[in-house]
Amino acid sequence: MSDSKYITLVSYDGFEFVVLREAALISETIRAMLRGAFKEAQTGRCEFGEIRGPVLEKVVEYFHYYHANRDQTDVPDMDIPVDICLELLMAADFLGLDSRPQMRDLS
Amino acid sequence: MASRNRPRPIRRPLINKEAGGFDQCWATLQSAMTDIHNKNASKLSFENLYRASYKITLVKRGEDLFNKVKEFETEWFHNHIIPGVDELVRSNLPSIALIQMSTSSSHERREAGERLLRGIRKIWEDHNTSMNLIADMLMYLERSCAETKQASVYATTIGLFRDHILRYGLKDVEGSDQPFVILDVVIAVVLDLINMDRDGDIVDRNLLRDITGMLEQLYQTDEEKEKEKLYTTIFEPRFIAASEVFYRAECEKLLRESDAGSWLRHTRRRLLEEEERCVTSVSNFTKENITAVVERELALAKMDDFLAMEGSGLKAMVDNDREEDLGILYHLIARIDKSKNTLKTNLQSRVMELGLEIEQTLKNTDFSAPTAAGASGEAEDAVEGVDKPKALSPAAQQTAAAIKWVDDVLKLKGKFDTLLENCFNNDLVIQSAITKSFADFINMFERSSEFVSLFIDDSLKRGLKGKSDEDAEIVLQKAIVLVRYLSDRDLFERYYQKHLGRRLLHGKSEMHIEKELVRRMRAELGNHFTAKFEGMFKDMELSKDLSNNYKDHIRNLGDDDKKSTELAIHVLTTNFWPTDVMGRGVLQDGEGSRADCIFPPSIKRLQESFYKFYCQDRSGRILTWVPSTGSADIKCLFPKVPGKESGPLSKDRRYEFNVSTYGMIVLMLFNNLSSGESLSFEEIQLKTNIPVSDLTKTLTSLSVPPKFRVLAKEPLAKSVKATDKFSFNAHFVSKQIKIRVPVLSSTSKVEGSEERKETERKNDQTRAHVVDAAIVRIMKQRKELTHTQLTTEVISQLFGRFKPEISLIKKRIEDLLAREYLERMEGDAPAYRYLA
Repeated sequence: MSDSKYITLVSYDGFEFVVLREAALISETIRAMLRGAFKEAQTGRCEFGEIRGPVLEKVVEYFHYYHANRDQTDVPDMDIPVDICLELLMAADFLGLDSRPQMRDLS
Repeated sequence: MASRNRPRPIRRPLINKEAGGFDQCWATLQSAMTDIHNKNASKLSFENLYRASYKITLVKRGEDLFNKVKEFETEWFHNHIIPGVDELVRSNLPSIALIQMSTSSSHERREAGERLLRGIRKIWEDHNTSMNLIADMLMYLERSCAETKQASVYATTIGLFRDHILRYGLKDVEGSDQPFVILDVVIAVVLDLINMDRDGDIVDRNLLRDITGMLEQLYQTDEEKEKEKLYTTIFEPRFIAASEVFYRAECEKLLRESDAGSWLRHTRRRLLEEEERCVTSVSNFTKENITAVVERELALAKMDDFLAMEGSGLKAMVDNDREEDLGILYHLIARIDKSKNTLKTNLQSRVMELGLEIEQTLKNTDFSAPTAAGASGEAEDAVEGVDKPKALSPAAQQTAAAIKWVDDVLKLKGKFDTLLENCFNNDLVIQSAITKSFADFINMFERSSEFVSLFIDDSLKRGLKGKSDEDAEIVLQKAIVLVRYLSDRDLFERYYQKHLGRRLLHGKSEMHIEKELVRRMRAELGNHFTAKFEGMFKDMELSKDLSNNYKDHIRNLGDDDKKSTELAIHVLTTNFWPTDVMGRGVLQDGEGSRADCIFPPSIKRLQESFYKFYCQDRSGRILTWVPSTGSADIKCLFPKVPGKESGPLSKDRRYEFNVSTYGMIVLMLFNNLSSGESLSFEEIQLKTNIPVSDLTKTLTSLSVPPKFRVLAKEPLAKSVKATDKFSFNAHFVSKQIKIRVPVLSSTSKVEGSEERKETERKNDQTRAHVVDAAIVRIMKQRKELTHTQLTTEVISQLFGRFKPEISLIKKRIEDLLAREYLERMEGDAPAYRYLA
């Protein structure tokens, strides 16, 4: 079965976000999720049991922002509202977004 | 109602200290791991498991988790994997027996071996897959591990595999006391299969590759140091050692059973095989090491033995032009040994042997047998019109020898050139080695300079008349090649001058080819060397002009005297021409030189006339006439013999003779005699003042051979003595009108041994002067030099001309010291100072 271009990320409170696969793969965690023999790899659908909707939304926005500007330099920081920044930090840690992505195994 | 300016506190499902606690998370993980090992991962959610390990890590119990995982894996091995492995190994009992000399057939061994390896491979692959999944699952844990610098999960589990499976010792194996470690078994099987592969059996190479791949991914310890891969530390050394044993045995077998040619091909094949093996069966990493082993054991170890083999070794290869073998040999050696010493020395000694053989053959060849096309020289004495093969005179034999020697050497050179091109890839190292050997044996042969000059002489005189340009080109090139090898170039120069002089004066060769050859010599050896030859050419051209101008001059004087003699003259500049041509040759018994020869009056008038003409344009020159090299055309009338009514003698006969100048002088004497009178040898000598040896030769040519018996000799013996009498031979008859009496000095013969000694003596004298000049020149420039430095300088400066002997240089230095050109300097090492 060929991989589709998009995957679905679901927050625990039921919000679903359809994301470009390639964009989401900057997260180590998501990458691991999709390459193994686990359920997520087969369905193309990742459910996060501890991330809220608005937070996941921001994450997805970040994915796309990064992906769009991936070849450019001196990109200005994305705008992050203060009230979700703590949760966003936790989510980022969970998703392995705290280090520069190594584009080695985007499978 | 949180303000938008403050971060919202984190709300998440409470971690129930019990429910969401360590144990629960661990339980999830554990069951997941079991599922993974059972290949049931697809029903698991990665996120769950990841989150479980995440939670554990957050409460700082990551280390516990880590240990639990290790425990789990170890237990899993023991319970589920090891029994399988044990079974696998025991059922393939022959494989264990491998380690102690198997006796089962290779087919059985192979089957069993492959089964075992397949089993191991499957276990490894399964383990690998599972471990990858588990490591992913514990990724969060790992990230925090990385910060605290513990070994990664993956590395640890791999280590577990190594420790519990590979290092598992089988107990209670029949026939041994110690437990066999599976790793050893595996490696032994792999090596055995490789050997079978080498012997030609078909083995599963992919299987081997996978096993060695596995070994490459395992490390000695958990720290996974690069240099400590199991492959490198355990497998590779054993592989190399086993290969050494294998190839050593193979080499012995080859030495016993086959020949050098097969050995070469075999080695080449093995090298390719092993290289290929490094791609298909073992790691590419080993390529250098294993090819080194093959090179060492198969090629190098017994190379000398193989090359020395009768009938197929290097000698045979060279002699029989086995180009393919030599090509393989060359490539092989080029791989192993950059300097190719073995090949070089072998070739060099072979060249020397062959070169010296040529000399031996020469000595043993009997040139006295008549040959149709053989020598130059005396062949001209052969009776014209009748091809009567004569036995060759000793001198002609020698000349033939010279030609043969040169031909043989050239052939040898051609052979090695072909070999160089076809087999040795025009390798410079080999080329220079061969060249050196050629130069060595050519120069060892003491008559090489003379022979080379003779060869050129012969080619130019006989061979090139009428040959096409390309053929001429080939001969010229060959000649130059030989000249290049000679180290005694001044000796060669001397001979060449002599031969060239003769050729030019008697018009025996084509000018443009001569010039071409000299031009090339100049390019090779420098101006200095060819200056004399070029001077000789110039003289010839000037002389032609002079002759023509003189003819015009005479005509213009209106002296239309039918009886005047025509003069064709060659004016030779003294220094350019060889001394014996110039008549300044070996003088015997203090006789007068050629200048004292008495010419007939008509000739004398001619000489004076020419001299006047010559001095018109030039002043201060002295011309000296050299009768020993000239020739003259004489018309001769033999009146009919009275009393004979029929036959040739009843008529008047007019002939035109071409004789040497001496001959002409002698014959003119007889003009003034009345018939019946005769002249004795002594009288002739007094009247002409020709040196005795020359006179003897001349009179012999005019009176002894029936064809040219213009003079009648009493007594009629073959040799001319001082007491003989000569008279005009009225009965002379010849079928031809124009008769050429042979000139005895027009041929270039090989020197007799006294002549040679003489030439060498003169040469040595010249060399002494040259060395003197060099020493003075050097000292003048450098002012002070040590003895060794001076010697080195002299040798290097004179290199292009000849190789001076140390003793010669020493003697010359002492001579110069005596003549006060140099003085000794104080100090430890002998040194000299230049005295102005």
